[in-house]
Amino acid sequence: MAPKLPPQPPLQHSTTAVADGQAHGHAAPPKGIWRWLLTTNHKEIGTLYLIFSLTMFFIGGIFALVVRAELFQPGLQLIEPEFFNQMTTMHGLIMVFAAVMPAFTGLANWMIPLQIGAPDMALPRLNNFSFWLLPVAFTLLLSTLFMPGGGPNFGWTFYAPLSTNYGPPSTTFFILALHIAGISSILGAINIIATILNMRAPGMRLMDMPLFVWTWLVTAFLLIAVMPVLAGVITMMLMDINFGTSFFNAAGGGDPVLFQHLFWFFGHPEVYIMILPAFGIVSAIIPTFARKPLFGYASMVYATAAIALLSFLVWAHHMFVVGLPLVAELFFMYSTMLIAVPTGVKVFNWITTLFRGSISFESPMLFALAFVVLFTIGGFSGLMLAIAPADFQYHDTYFVVAHFHYVLVPGAIFAIMAGVYYWLPKWTGHYPNERLAQWHFWFSVIGVNLTFFPMHFAGLAGMPRRIPDYALQFADFNLLSSIGAFFFGASQLLFVLGVILCVRGGKKAPAKAWEGAVDLEWSVPSPAPLHTFETPPVFHRAST
Amino acid sequence: MHSWWRWLSVISLAMGISQAQANGWNMPIGVTDTSGDIYGLHMTIFWICVVIGVLVFGAMFYSLFRYRYSKGAKASHFHEHTGVEVLWTVIPLLILVGMAVPATATLKDMYDSSDAELDVMVTGQQWRWRYEYLGEDVAFTSNMSTPRAQISGEETRGEHYLLEVDEPLVLPINRKIRLLMTSDDVIHSWWVPDLAVKQDSIPGFINENWVKINEPGIYRGQCAELCGIDHGFMPVVVHAMEEAAFEDWLIGRKEAAAEKAMGVDREWAMAELAERGESVYQSICSSCHQVDGQGSPPAFPALANNEQLISDVDWHIDKVLNGVSGAAMPAFRSTLNPVEIAAVVTYTRNAWGNDTGDVVQPSTVAEQISE
Amino acid sequence: MWSVVKSVLAALLGVQSNQQRQEDFSSGKPTAYIVTGIVITLLFILVLIFLARFAAR
Repeated sequence: MAPKLPPQPPLQHSTTAVADGQAHGHAAPPKGIWRWLLTTNHKEIGTLYLIFSLTMFFIGGIFALVVRAELFQPGLQLIEPEFFNQMTTMHGLIMVFAAVMPAFTGLANWMIPLQIGAPDMALPRLNNFSFWLLPVAFTLLLSTLFMPGGGPNFGWTFYAPLSTNYGPPSTTFFILALHIAGISSILGAINIIATILNMRAPGMRLMDMPLFVWTWLVTAFLLIAVMPVLAGVITMMLMDINFGTSFFNAAGGGDPVLFQHLFWFFGHPEVYIMILPAFGIVSAIIPTFARKPLFGYASMVYATAAIALLSFLVWAHHMFVVGLPLVAELFFMYSTMLIAVPTGVKVFNWITTLFRGSISFESPMLFALAFVVLFTIGGFSGLMLAIAPADFQYHDTYFVVAHFHYVLVPGAIFAIMAGVYYWLPKWTGHYPNERLAQWHFWFSVIGVNLTFFPMHFAGLAGMPRRIPDYALQFADFNLLSSIGAFFFGASQLLFVLGVILCVRGGKKAPAKAWEGAVDLEWSVPSPAPLHTFETPPVFHRAST
Repeated sequence: MHSWWRWLSVISLAMGISQAQANGWNMPIGVTDTSGDIYGLHMTIFWICVVIGVLVFGAMFYSLFRYRYSKGAKASHFHEHTGVEVLWTVIPLLILVGMAVPATATLKDMYDSSDAELDVMVTGQQWRWRYEYLGEDVAFTSNMSTPRAQISGEETRGEHYLLEVDEPLVLPINRKIRLLMTSDDVIHSWWVPDLAVKQDSIPGFINENWVKINEPGIYRGQCAELCGIDHGFMPVVVHAMEEAAFEDWLIGRKEAAAEKAMGVDREWAMAELAERGESVYQSICSSCHQVDGQGSPPAFPALANNEQLISDVDWHIDKVLNGVSGAAMPAFRSTLNPVEIAAVVTYTRNAWGNDTGDVVQPSTVAEQISE
Repeated sequence: MWSVVKSVLAALLGVQSNQQRQEDFSSGKPTAYIVTGIVITLLFILVLIFLARFAAR
């Protein structure tokens, strides 16, 4: 019997809730492609999101490898600067909007109903619609690469006027694609909020929810707050390009800096959208494998809320060199430095959770621990970047590239992989091949550090980002980064292999696949039947 | 007031970071007071992060090692302690305040561009810099001088590959110089690490920054903001001179400018123009229209055998002077002088099988500019 | 009133004891917390602006 551990109390679920899962007369689902096109089941849609995201992760990864191949040596060997710019741009756009965000939405679809004891998402048809918008959006976006004049070539931040008056003809398609992806995100967020607020098992209060659910609740509010800002700014671009307005065109009385304010008012909360659910996943995995309750559950929730609030007050730290007035520079420097406090609280809490636990090192735990260390390194470089005077030297160099790749690759993406290894037994009924997963882990850790750590030095030594060719003194760093990138890319094939093998078979997993796991999802059988919690489970809170 | 963190950076130096400095691993200390201050801030925050990292990761790896399940560790069940939580909130807060104080002082200093003795207007253009010494009647553009053959690997790459220009910005040392930044097209960013100046040049805006260089020398940097296909080929080179040498240089420039203007009025021969035009074409036009004039349609049309170009001289000159609105072709009326424009037009009209035989005189171009 | 302010401040710092949060969540009036949260956030922004202005002088 699991010890009584708040905040994830032992559960006495009614067995009937589970057993009844497929007993009710559900109409047989349509077969073949129609089943997937028309599905309203949260588990199937979650699977669709995850497969989509994995596909896009590889497409975006190939773009990154094209970039790294060109940067392997000084000089232009493989591609022209024009195509190089399209590759950096598409890599960023695909990874942010089509790989990381849908992966988290997929995990939310699968796990939030299971973790709160709900039978499905609150709005199943909307759920189906949100997903199927994504393949449309990104097919459109990728098709721009084959259009005359090529795809977007102005960086994923698409600063005006480079993206408006000077953009390629395909920019309008890029705007449309981003609009569709944005609608998908907003609808997904509405669905998640509706589910969490209305469909929790009787007796489960907000403060009893697992942290993954909490972080997603906050993330969903962030999405609803900032996606319309993105939609607004790209609509203004659309007007500038096609209807002769001058929002961002200085020659017509417009303001190119306004673009950056609007973009980063969206863009900064966006980076928290990509990291908060990762915090949630790690906060589930570390207690499980330390066999000890999460330290400071309440402060974790409050720190999440504090980070979300602060994320609206720091956007101009991306703009320290555009010539802001001194007062604005100081304001954004102070507010940015303050974000270190709640973020630090989270890291301290995870480490204190480990302290005096009973720790084992299964693959989900390895990825979660690597997350804590490497995300913190990304946080340190973030703190350095917050110092405005120093940022005059760091800004737009490879130091920044190193920083945000540390928070996004061993940050967000490692957390996603940790989550996948953690929940695969629940999804497929089999444990993933542990030996393969460990190889994947070690190769990934080595690859990530080999790729991104030298970038710190290249940036400090003076290498600007987004250049297709570089001065000779940066050659060694780039050589290492390129080798690391190909190594990391190749080792992700092990991940795909591991997932495929796990779907096809493997060691059978019980309902409670991990000894220390306590959340509600572990009370349903593995693999989780298509319909779960049709009768709500009775949620028992541990008395504290 | 700044002394304590300068002191800290001295310790950093003693701890072997000077080695990294020499190897080009770290931020340069640079040759201005500001760059030294920034280096001090950088090293201070770096060592703070190292210390925190050692403590935090030390605690983490100790726990991982000490409390292994495989060694039979029994989990305890504590899950909160307000005192500890307050402590690890307040201590970072204090460290941050301690960091914010010197950072604020440096930033205020960087923003104070009053009492400058020389004003230089820096204008970003795709993909070159234009420098104008305000009130001195001296202005010129600065293009990358690395040959395309080095980039493609046909020639051995030189020591300053991609970081060399035809005309560097020349500045005097020991004088406070105000840099006014703007742009003619998209956003660029003028950056020289040794001077610790990085400032966006933005169309429609004039940004201010300043620099006071302590040591003569040649300092190299690059455009730091993505500005189109040749963003990577837009270096900044600053040649800092003793004040007397700078004054001589300035006088020399003024005389040369006067001489150049004379060239506009005389009659030029075809061969002379074509030769001059070829070098202009190579450094300015060939990045889009290609060395062989084939361009890369549709964004960058071919010039070789271009019917409209061959048939209409005035249209041709007009496009070079004023650019093509809504397309990538920029206006060169302020970048190039009439001689250069006449030369490049003449060259283009007689190269790659465009055998029009036309000779466009600088005086014709000058007339068209004044219209 | 004071306990509400204290809880919101604790939330901003990310420091809160389980016992205190139990009390907060059993009081059953989220509106008070939300309003206090918004007010304190605005105050926080004003303080930062004031600090920045003061430092810039």
